[in-house]
Amino acid sequence: MPATLPAKNFPLLDQIREIGRQARVSALAVALYDYALDLRFSVQASRVFHAASTIKLAILFALYRAAETERVRLTDRLHVRNRFRSQADGSTFFLQADRDGDPDLYKRVGRTATLQELAETMIVRSSNLATNLLLDHLEVPFVTEMLAAAGLEGLRCVRGVEDEAAFARGMNNSVTADGLLEFFRRVHESRALGAENRDRLFDILFQQRFNAMLPAGIPDSAKARVAHKTGEISTVTHDAGMVFLPGRAPYALVILTEYPSAGTGGARNKTVAAVSAAVYEFLQAAGSAATS
Amino acid sequence: MNQTTRDLPVVDALRLPEEIRALLRPDELLADRAGRQHRLPRFFYEVRSWSQAKELLLTPHVRLSELLIVDSREAPRLLEDFPHYVPCAVSLLARIIEDLRAKVGAPVFVAANGGYRSPAHRLSVHASPHLWAAAADIYRVGDTWLNTQSSVEKYGTLARELLPDVNVLPFGHQPGETDDHLHLALGYLRAVPAGCDERGSELNSGNPGATLPALLAPSPFESASAQTS
Ligand SMILES: [Zn+2]
Repeated sequence: MPATLPAKNFPLLDQIREIGRQARVSALAVALYDYALDLRFSVQASRVFHAASTIKLAILFALYRAAETERVRLTDRLHVRNRFRSQADGSTFFLQADRDGDPDLYKRVGRTATLQELAETMIVRSSNLATNLLLDHLEVPFVTEMLAAAGLEGLRCVRGVEDEAAFARGMNNSVTADGLLEFFRRVHESRALGAENRDRLFDILFQQRFNAMLPAGIPDSAKARVAHKTGEISTVTHDAGMVFLPGRAPYALVILTEYPSAGTGGARNKTVAAVSAAVYEFLQAAGSAATS
Repeated sequence: MNQTTRDLPVVDALRLPEEIRALLRPDELLADRAGRQHRLPRFFYEVRSWSQAKELLLTPHVRLSELLIVDSREAPRLLEDFPHYVPCAVSLLARIIEDLRAKVGAPVFVAANGGYRSPAHRLSVHASPHLWAAAADIYRVGDTWLNTQSSVEKYGTLARELLPDVNVLPFGHQPGETDDHLHLALGYLRAVPAGCDERGSELNSGNPGATLPALLAPSPFESASAQTS
């Protein structure tokens, strides 16, 4: 059984609440599991948030499950096409290159890309086009089925990115901090994917280009490697991942934030980084206390 | 020296191994979206490798490979293994693309799955001239992406000026319309190169007494390089 820290009068909790208060968040959820100390900590971890781009983890997971069950091969090629059908009413919609984390893939419209290439660009550059192509190919019911079979009910994938007709009907991808924490734990422990596909999945997450949040809270001197995925849209800013430090077992950390008004970047990234820093410092201190 | 279709063997698909015949379905009838029946092609060019398809110029600017790009929705045997087979109408399709290129003075790009695709391709639910290698989905002309009504209509009009019988689908989001390419089609064009013998089609034309060996003449293609007629 992991140690569960008392919620009251706990300095980390106070620190996180203070960070949230100063940033004027409307909600802040944290879920942590440290393999080194066998310690679990959570704040509002079952609260449901708009997933933003963290839903790409669910699609990545389903892709590797599809490869594992030989439904697809990662070398399969897919026509890169910017034209999608809404999950709500089948109406056609298109993505805007200038609103996408990765405008480069739009230059390949009309040609083909492998599923592996699409998976990489979906995560590393947070490509919306790659996300919708993969989801279209795998299909929403398959992703849902794979998540349920792996016990990942905290991740809910119902539509692709910028599916406005679905959005208008309240169909939104959602996550909980607990759900994302379970994702990382089950994948890391090879409970949801075979070891080979787990390693491939983490290899992609290690290449993440958006590093202003979870990794930014950890000092460079710690030489951390962070396998993670960010998500930012309108009122939410998230980061979820697994932190590998030399000479110690990793920890999984999920930080989800929501604000009363729209906005992204800068200060909101720093808030997530501040929580990451507080967690890192707490674990360093707890680790020293445990070994002294 | 670039290869042309004259360097490709023409095969009678009724003579191909059962495994391939089952995918190409030569001479079989297939219904279009409106229920009209069309007879699938029987005579194909045999392409022995991808490098051959890339080197082979159907016209001065159109390479065979450009009209053969498909994704994983194509049957694995036709996607990964060689030889590949492409209906002989492909050279006429290339001609209209070449002429359009000359008319607009810019390169014309054909989308993946938008040249030839087989009846076994997962997009081939209904008969479409793509299965005859007689249609091309043009997604880009020069630097213009054909994803607006004005661009689709502009290039559709120019294609019709080249050949009034060319069929272009109207811009729109419904089935039978296009919104991210120009579908340009020559119709259900069965190209039968000179030197081909069409006996044997009776098998698929309701002649119950016919058997394949009896109907097929000795192959006329042993040494011939055939010409599209
Ligand atoms: Zn077409």
